Amino acid sequence: MPDGAVLRVVPLAPDVTELAFALGGGDLVAAVPAAADHPPEVKRLPRFRQEDVEAILSLHPDLVLATTAGSNARVIERLRELGTRVFTTDVTSFDRLAQACRLVGRAIGRPEEGVRLADDVEARCTLVRTRAATLPRRTALYVVWWDPLIVGSPGTFHHDLLKRAALDNLAPAGAGRYPRVDPELLLDPRLDVVVAPDEKDLRDGFARIVRSPAGERLASGAVQVLWLPADQASRPGPRLPEALEALVAARVAYEKPGSGVRGPGSPPDRIMTTPQPQGRPQ
Amino acid sequence: MRRAADVVLIAVLLAAAAAALLAGGPALSAREALAALAGNGSPEARTIVLGLRLPRLALGLEVGAALALAGAALQALLSNPLADPFLLGISGGGAAAATAAFAALPASALGLVPATAMAGSALATGLVWWMARGPLGPSSTRMILAGVAVNAAASAVILTILSLAPSPRLPGALAVTMGSLASASAPAVAWLTPYVLIPAFVLLLHGRDLGLLATGEESAAGLGVEVATVRRRVFLAAAALCGGAVAFAGVIGFVGLVVPHLCRMVWGHATRRLLPRTMVAGAALMVLGDLVARRALAPVELPVGVVTAVLGVPFFVALLRRSP
Repeated sequence: MPDGAVLRVVPLAPDVTELAFALGGGDLVAAVPAAADHPPEVKRLPRFRQEDVEAILSLHPDLVLATTAGSNARVIERLRELGTRVFTTDVTSFDRLAQACRLVGRAIGRPEEGVRLADDVEARCTLVRTRAATLPRRTALYVVWWDPLIVGSPGTFHHDLLKRAALDNLAPAGAGRYPRVDPELLLDPRLDVVVAPDEKDLRDGFARIVRSPAGERLASGAVQVLWLPADQASRPGPRLPEALEALVAARVAYEKPGSGVRGPGSPPDRIMTTPQPQGRPQ
Repeated sequence: MRRAADVVLIAVLLAAAAAALLAGGPALSAREALAALAGNGSPEARTIVLGLRLPRLALGLEVGAALALAGAALQALLSNPLADPFLLGISGGGAAAATAAFAALPASALGLVPATAMAGSALATGLVWWMARGPLGPSSTRMILAGVAVNAAASAVILTILSLAPSPRLPGALAVTMGSLASASAPAVAWLTPYVLIPAFVLLLHGRDLGLLATGEESAAGLGVEVATVRRRVFLAAAALCGGAVAFAGVIGFVGLVVPHLCRMVWGHATRRLLPRTMVAGAALMVLGDLVARRALAPVELPVGVVTAVLGVPFFVALLRRSP
């Protein structure tokens, strides 16, 4: 990345938009992608479609912030070919998130804020590790879509999210970051926990899957379902630690710490556990 | 020779079905699956075998038989070896409608996707029929050209939707375009059954007429075939078969095109004899393809349409090279 004062920043995805603001660079952001909705200040900024190279260039950015999680690779390549500076984050873990905070902080001329935000991410992860150490290890899946069943595999920040909450990911490695997997996996007796972002489409998909044979263990409570705040859990940005904290809090509330025994008979967490289906299919 | 081929075909189908039940997924060993089939085993094992694998097997049999039979009938009807539900835009119409439904319907209404796909296939069928009508009625050439046009329009619709759909909806929409039996369920099998059985009955009933039509419309008419009636019935029956398959399994290519050719190479060109064997061969290829799709990188699932193509093409090429 060549040196040079950054006056106008254009983020290409919601997570890097949030990162720019969290680093105190909100005043540098010239426009935001259509899907960006946080922090509230973005509402008064112009919007663009992230595939629209012309719209992006017309904003005269000194720096474009992109992400492997949600930016179009061809757009990034085209922008670079046309001489635009593009910084791409690749947040595949909480360590990489901390690193992204430092690097983006430096790139937009906010190095101290970058270090401070990275330290904050690491401190929160350390705190969570202490809490998670009391939890028995369980086997889990991170579901991003129910039908077809699509899960986060090793090499994704969702895998790291599970790992740091004392959950072993049942998803296979080596088949891409978010592979489509066999729905029988939901009936695997090793599966204890399913984690999913709490958004309407996923809730509706869940309501359908628990009425099907594949969702039998979900419906019976043999598999615990933990719903995480959707934006925090789906965007590898500065609010990702909130998803981790929510996950560990939900696990602590559900488990009996220290006993090593999870009781399906123990009271479910009221906020984020499996909604009980209203009846079995005919 | 043909009797031996019949025995081999039935054996392959039974072996594929048994493998799908016993080794169809990652969650159970074959021994556990066998115990579940015998009425023993854990409740989870019974759910997996009877609640997931059995409907998936049944759906695979229905979809494979439907696509292959539709392809064989269309190839005979239009006297064109390239005719299949894809070329005629029937699959494309269903896929475009299903993709649109995935992108636009509220998540609570996604259960309507199969009905939407069927409506799309019916619309595409109607369009092809309407476009193919000339002063002397629809001709084979006009039908194929109309099908190509409808197919191109459907592809454009699908690509537009995929490029505009909100990203959380893309997995479902893409699954339609790539084909999958993963959503199989007992109700889906029950819904699809009349869409397979009734058109299949109609096509088998017209087996002789189709055989005569394959030699040319004029000669068929000279031999007493009511060409216009047969054409209408066969086309609608093939469209219903294909629409049903797309509705519950998405777009699965190659089966409708290649299986009839494979069967012709083994059993000859007599359409009446060919059609039932095409159904069995299509069902076997689909079940085998789905088995490979699930087991090759288990628990990751490959698109079953890719697998049926990979399984079918080398066999097809080998037979093509050997045929006179």
